[in-house]
Amino acid sequence: MTARSSSTGIGADANRQLSRFLAWIGQLRRGSRGLYRVLRANPLTLVGFALVVLLTLTAVALVIVPPISAAFGHPMSLTPYDPNALLPCPTVGNQSFCAQPPSLEHFFGTDRAGRDVFSRVLTALPLDLAIGFLIAGFALLTGGGLGLIAGFWDRPGTIGAAVSLTIMRITDVFLAFPSLVLALAIAASLGRGTIPSIIAILLTWWPYYVRLTRGEVLAVKHQPYVTAARAAGVAEWRILFRHVLRNIAEPLVVYFTMDVGTVLVVFSTISFIGIGVPPNVPEWGNMIQAYSDYLLIFPWVVAFPGLAIFVTVLAFSLLGDGLRDILDPRSRRALSQAETTTRAPAAAATAAGASG
Amino acid sequence: MAEPLLEVKGLSVDYEVGAGTFHALSEVSLELPAGHVVGIVGETGCGKSTLAHAIPRLLREPPARIRSGEVRFRGMDLLTLPKWKLPLVRGTGISMVFQEPINSLNPAFRVFDQLAEAVRIRKMRESGQAPGLVPGSEGFDYSKREGPKPADALTRPLLPSRPEARKGFSRVLHRVDFREDALDYLRLVRINDPETILDLYPHELSGGMRQRIMIAMALSEKPSLLIADEPTSALDITIQAQVLTLMKELIEEIRTSILFISHDLGVIAEMADDVGVMYAGHLVEFGPVDDVYEHPRHPYTKALLRSAPNQYKDDGPLPSLPGSVPNLSRLPSGCSFHPRCPLAKPVCSDDPGPVLEVQKGTAAGHEAACYFSEEVAGLP
Repeated sequence: MTARSSSTGIGADANRQLSRFLAWIGQLRRGSRGLYRVLRANPLTLVGFALVVLLTLTAVALVIVPPISAAFGHPMSLTPYDPNALLPCPTVGNQSFCAQPPSLEHFFGTDRAGRDVFSRVLTALPLDLAIGFLIAGFALLTGGGLGLIAGFWDRPGTIGAAVSLTIMRITDVFLAFPSLVLALAIAASLGRGTIPSIIAILLTWWPYYVRLTRGEVLAVKHQPYVTAARAAGVAEWRILFRHVLRNIAEPLVVYFTMDVGTVLVVFSTISFIGIGVPPNVPEWGNMIQAYSDYLLIFPWVVAFPGLAIFVTVLAFSLLGDGLRDILDPRSRRALSQAETTTRAPAAAATAAGASG
Repeated sequence: MAEPLLEVKGLSVDYEVGAGTFHALSEVSLELPAGHVVGIVGETGCGKSTLAHAIPRLLREPPARIRSGEVRFRGMDLLTLPKWKLPLVRGTGISMVFQEPINSLNPAFRVFDQLAEAVRIRKMRESGQAPGLVPGSEGFDYSKREGPKPADALTRPLLPSRPEARKGFSRVLHRVDFREDALDYLRLVRINDPETILDLYPHELSGGMRQRIMIAMALSEKPSLLIADEPTSALDITIQAQVLTLMKELIEEIRTSILFISHDLGVIAEMADDVGVMYAGHLVEFGPVDDVYEHPRHPYTKALLRSAPNQYKDDGPLPSLPGSVPNLSRLPSGCSFHPRCPLAKPVCSDDPGPVLEVQKGTAAGHEAACYFSEEVAGLP
């Protein structure tokens, strides 16, 4: 046993910074290797991951390309047509046929006003993705935070228990209403528009996370390893944010990814009912709503935005499923053993042998 | 004689559950002088683990409730200490090794993360950067705290240019700085190939390995008192021997006192200087281990020793004690052992029952909570 005295020289400091940096890189590499292995072993996760990456990159490109290209003097748009431009309609006799079926000119056809559906679906992508992430992310942070508090400090007769009780009862009140109905009511009372409908869902979305997080915390906080951490002198807040949170992160993250899709559907529903986004703003639910009456006459106007919602929700669900495997050290290592012979299984064998 | 490291006085703990109140510990008193190993032995359900958890206040309250008593550790009463100060005592003051090696390591972290966290806690406390009880210090001293002050954060440049400013920058230690220390402790608990083990997750290790890592964690904090709650019960016999040998060596290497809890008489005889025998939540006998084993002064101890299997003799079935352990929610009046006791007399059922008296400074004395302790020697 050699007790290493911590030297305070500048060289030692630089060394320490370097070793911290290397450890960080190591963690990053381990994480990405785990991701790579899970993706290789599980084609469905790969599909989900690829779709999410594709959707995200497209959305980012859609947002940044026009202003940047304009700044360089060559205005450029990623959509073939202006999403709100009314294109000239072909006429037969004195009747004009604005809604045209999909063709090479208009991939997804045009709607009754003569607008290009493909351009509109594409333009809606950044808005819909941002809404999904924003609302689900807000719910994860607020609901998750409240759930952590409510689950961890619930010893009867303490201030923590009173706070927890208050949190849970408020949550119950919110959960007593169907969230969609509540969101509709709030959105309707705030007036029509994108921002009011986002606020409405924000306000109704967090209680599910409180329930989920609290339940997980309750299950984990009496595990022997939490008591062991406490016995080692780890402070309570550190136990909560390091030992407990790391063990419940997996269901939370999985739920979050799947929830991004659900939020999209609910937001589209609100638009569909006609309270959400104004008609001129391209948004998937909005587009379906506007032409739902013509489903049988011009199916393409409704089908393609619907397909966009479907693909996005599916992508996040598949990714969430795979994340479960990546986040759990057990299945991650199991996958790595199935895939390649690394030094990890050999080490495990040594470990088992060494213990006799 | 100097004040004992740990002094438990009249500690009573109840469990309040739907079915009633269970008296898990009744008036337990014992003392542990610095540098000693005190064993606690008793059958399942006699309150050994409750005692182990009650001392560092790790009981789940509720259902547990500490009814009365005093736990003095280095002069502080842990039962009246504000709750937020308890983490400052645990770890470097009192550390613990648990019964279940399978679940006592966090499944989400590698061995290194957990070991380094323990080392970090000790180093931060030793250097005065974090408050906490370390051996040699007198209580907590917040004035010694030297970490960066909140006000500094506002005026400090993001990237300090002058070397002396840079010095304070990485003052707060991070666990990746402790790889060498973690390796040292893995070697200390005789783990082969520590470099590899350090990067494994707990589920990749066997029970014996995990228990040794738990011990390494507890020892890396250099506690004044280590509470070992049946550290070898979940292990098979060969690993048990390894772990016990290891712990004995470690007692010599790192000067620490141990409260060793076990249901195994042999293990206690091997490890402890003094032994306490528990029955139905009562400490019925306490004394030097050889003396207690050679000349038990409580009929229960006598019966317990008699029922231990002896591998060299085969003379019929093992002797056993008639009757069963009383229900902890309805303890018999007086001495809780009297319904099964061969020496029982009417006086034994009178309340309050006999109490084991530990007089200060007589830790080496041999006491029993029995009115007729002189007659125990005459029992078969």
